[in-house]
Amino acid sequence: MHEQARWLIDKRQVEGLSAEEHDWLEAHLESCAQCRKQGLETERVLCALRSAAPRFDAALALATQMRARVRARELNENAARLRALWISCALSWVLGVVSAPLLWRACAWIGYRWAISRAVWMMGFALFWVAPAAVAGAAIAWRQARGAVTSGE
Amino acid sequence: MGLATSWFMRTGGGEAGEVARGLRQRDPSLMDYLIQNYQYRLFRYLLMLTGSRQEAQDLFQETWIRVLEKGHQYQPRWKFETWLFTIARHLVIDFLRRRQPQSLDALLQPNGADRPLELEDTTSASAFEQVFQGEEAASVATALRHLPPSYREVLSLRFHEDMALEEIAHVVGTPLSTVKSRLYRGLAMLREWLKDIYA
Repeated sequence: MHEQARWLIDKRQVEGLSAEEHDWLEAHLESCAQCRKQGLETERVLCALRSAAPRFDAALALATQMRARVRARELNENAARLRALWISCALSWVLGVVSAPLLWRACAWIGYRWAISRAVWMMGFALFWVAPAAVAGAAIAWRQARGAVTSGE
Repeated sequence: MGLATSWFMRTGGGEAGEVARGLRQRDPSLMDYLIQNYQYRLFRYLLMLTGSRQEAQDLFQETWIRVLEKGHQYQPRWKFETWLFTIARHLVIDFLRRRQPQSLDALLQPNGADRPLELEDTTSASAFEQVFQGEEAASVATALRHLPPSYREVLSLRFHEDMALEEIAHVVGTPLSTVKSRLYRGLAMLREWLKDIYA
């Protein structure tokens, strides 16, 4: 019975009690001085724990706010640059797709005009077509590598 | 009216959705508001977890920078403080991992369902003694120093932050049963340590 009461004393603080448990515990505490003492001790312990009042340096909050503002500006600037890069990539890809038939004909004509082998002018076409994507990919990779070095990762 | 409260006035309330939107936009005035509003609670949590004032101060700044960087991940269905404490906790674990890499497994994958974080006890006596006031200060500080950090953590979240047990489980990343078990054990240990002064 005392074990049950002590369990409920802790449960009251940790999880809360049902009405039935509450009534039972109250009735028991009325009649048991030892368990009542344990209940009071528990309340004092929690009261002491809740009295925790760390001294907080207001300068720390101000410094953090300043740091957050600077970091927010950096992140927003980086996001804007990255957005511009992605837009450039998308435009480049669209233009590449649209111009591919014309470029193919131009390469074929150059190959015919200067007697260049089919394999060579086709390779030229492929290189010319993937060049923008390769440059953009390299730029993104470079930015990420630089970001990793800057953040010390 | 403080600078920070102006954000609330502008958005017309403290809805989690507004916080999420502001975090996605990295709104500086929202950050000012959040830092001012949660500064004390976050610092107390970090202090309880690390037991070191200096480390708590360093991690305090890092937590807010991380909030800024990961703000787009915040979901309005979570309470902001739950998310904030989760971020802070991960930073503390990263910090401790750097300090004692050999105990990483023990830190993240405890053997057994309810083994506390096995951290090197670098808790300084002065850090907790500065926190508690009154004649019981020294005893409470001593008792806390002897509690495993994972017990201190759940006690702080439950009795300082008044978090629901489910929220604590979310922050700590453990099952509800583990949270309860740590709370009961932590409470019992604290009572045992303080029994003499209440006798």
